[in-house]
Amino acid sequence: MLPARDAEEAAAAAAALAVRYSYSSRPRALSARPKYRAPPDAAEPEKESVRYANLMYDRRVVRGNTYALQVIPACTHPDPLEIQRQRETRRRALARKRTKEQEQSRTPEPVEGREHVHVQTELYLEEISDWVIGVDTECQTDAFLDRPPTPLFIPAKTGKDVATQIEEGELFDFDIEVKPILEVLVGKTVEQALLEVMEEEELARLWAHQCAYAELRNAELAEVQRLEEQDRRYREEKERRKRQHKELLQKQKETTEKIAARAFAKRYLADLIPSVFNNLHESGFFYDPIERDIETEFLPWLMAEVEETLERKVLGRTMLDSLIRTVVEKRLDAFSSQPPFDQTEAPAEEPRPTDVEPQVAIETDADDQPVTEEKETDKLVAEAQRPRRISFMLHDSDQAGTEDLETE
Amino acid sequence: MAHTRISSSLPPDIDPTKAPIAFGRRALPKLNEELQSPVLLTQQRALMALCDLVHDPEKVYQAVELGFLDNLKTLLRHHDSTIRQKTTEVLYIMAMHSVGRQGLIKNGVISALAELLDNPVDICRKNIHQTFEMMAKLPEGAVDILHAGLIPFLVLKLKSEPDEIQELILDTLSNCLRVEASEALANGAVTILKEKLTHSSVAIRSKAAWVLLEISTHLEGKTAICEEVTPVLVGLLEDADPEVQASATGALMFATVKPQGRFSALGAGAIPPLLKLVAEETSKARLSAIKTLTMLAEVPEGRKTLLGHTHTFQQCLNDPSEAVKRAAQIAIRVIQWKP
Repeated sequence: MLPARDAEEAAAAAAALAVRYSYSSRPRALSARPKYRAPPDAAEPEKESVRYANLMYDRRVVRGNTYALQVIPACTHPDPLEIQRQRETRRRALARKRTKEQEQSRTPEPVEGREHVHVQTELYLEEISDWVIGVDTECQTDAFLDRPPTPLFIPAKTGKDVATQIEEGELFDFDIEVKPILEVLVGKTVEQALLEVMEEEELARLWAHQCAYAELRNAELAEVQRLEEQDRRYREEKERRKRQHKELLQKQKETTEKIAARAFAKRYLADLIPSVFNNLHESGFFYDPIERDIETEFLPWLMAEVEETLERKVLGRTMLDSLIRTVVEKRLDAFSSQPPFDQTEAPAEEPRPTDVEPQVAIETDADDQPVTEEKETDKLVAEAQRPRRISFMLHDSDQAGTEDLETE
Repeated sequence: MAHTRISSSLPPDIDPTKAPIAFGRRALPKLNEELQSPVLLTQQRALMALCDLVHDPEKVYQAVELGFLDNLKTLLRHHDSTIRQKTTEVLYIMAMHSVGRQGLIKNGVISALAELLDNPVDICRKNIHQTFEMMAKLPEGAVDILHAGLIPFLVLKLKSEPDEIQELILDTLSNCLRVEASEALANGAVTILKEKLTHSSVAIRSKAAWVLLEISTHLEGKTAICEEVTPVLVGLLEDADPEVQASATGALMFATVKPQGRFSALGAGAIPPLLKLVAEETSKARLSAIKTLTMLAEVPEGRKTLLGHTHTFQQCLNDPSEAVKRAAQIAIRVIQWKP
């Protein structure tokens, strides 16, 4: 199959170089054929790890030269007749080969006239025959005899012989010797146990003792605190009472003070009112309205009028003064230059009627004025009658007039 | 080389987990060296051997002298949990002896132990709490615990730990709070303890009542307790267990010192159960009950009620205990006092 295949493939390859190479059966690594068959009762061949065999030892690989082609028949299932015939031919071929081998001489052909003869050259001649001389021998054990016992195997003695002997009293008496050891062991164990138990007992007793003590202590402490509390309460109560009492006293004191103050104030204020009234009356707060009215309105007006009148008088006088002055100056001038007498009298008379006229007008208004006006007119007349004694007399009369006015 | 071991199999009664102990006085120094070795197994074996040795008070003294406590403090921070367990056990056993306690206080072991309070292993924490409990029995130990600021932690732990550890914590707290109660009050201890008063376990109830007793010996504690806890305590007076009754009576005794407490106790009807307790001859709570009734008798209503029960107190005068007799006399005097 292989050579034919190869030829085919080579042809295919040669024919189509450009075409991608394709296998009819892909190359794969062949696993090793197990040495032994699986036992017949194995249900299924177990899939072990695939063992890849060495190519060199694979029986399926063609060995030897492959130049001589071995033609494999196309059909791989020949019929049994063929097989038998092949077998027979093979057997005959083998037999022929064997005989041929035998006949074939390995030594060169005998020379002419000679013959090759097989000869034995050993010391003793041997009869060569096909069958081997066999001698039959029989052997049999004694009938119904038991197998004898094996003899005792005593090995040979080797080494030196040594002997020992324990004398009396050398061996220790276990019971006596063990006592101290036991004592120590047991003693230590018991000691340890006692220690532990004592520890716990001690602790328990300590705790109980402490509990009792704690109880007593707590009771005493509670008692102390209770007494403290009681004491505090009493103290507080006392404080409160004291405070209350103090407050009471304070209040009493205040009340007495208040009463005293009230009495004093009452007495003080008793003649306060009349004194107040007196003061007020004295300072003029109580007034008769008409009187007041007269005082506030009438009198100022009167005073204003009087002032006005006086002013007028003064004005008159000053005018008169100035007149007289001018007259006197003129007279002086005249005396120095001899001026006439009637000129002085005429201007002196002129202001007189002007004075008299307003005075007459005023007379009709007031009651008091006629008195003063009469006086004034008299004075003016007196003055007019004394024109010569100008400055001194005017001044005197002015002063007298003013003095009179003041006395009024 | 010749070994001390003759055969490869160990003798049958030896404990392979313990280090072999040297003879006599050399035992502890050798263990000390082994504790410092870098090999984990050696340290563990040394600790196991130490645990056994420390039950002896003389060995405790020697250990403290040799300076074991510094090594143990370092080992507390070891990463292996077996070592930590065993170290706490050793410290607990040492704390059971007075010498050990003194040594622990001097070397400041309490703060080192406090770091391990959150350890997940139960046994470790149990040992730590046992150590604290033992330490708290000493006044200096209690002060030490207070200074280390452990009270807030302990109060918090009350909520989360299992029952037996809770009992230990309550014991520690009761001893520490005898000295000073303000820290615990600041952390809301009263609320937590009130819950515990209604716990199912008898031991926890009695211990919680005891802690409340200690809290109420201080002034601020009394104020805290008067409002909320008095009714619960009065309820506990009728509890079946005598321990619980005794502790509850004690706590009431202190709570009724203040007038508020007295009124709330009277309001909760404390007088009948207290009278019952006084009438019992062998009650543990007799003394405390007499004292509490004395307090309540200072209030006018209490006095009125108790005037009818003076015969109970007369009976108490026959009690063998001196303190009870005195207390009964005081009680009678207070009841019959006229303002």
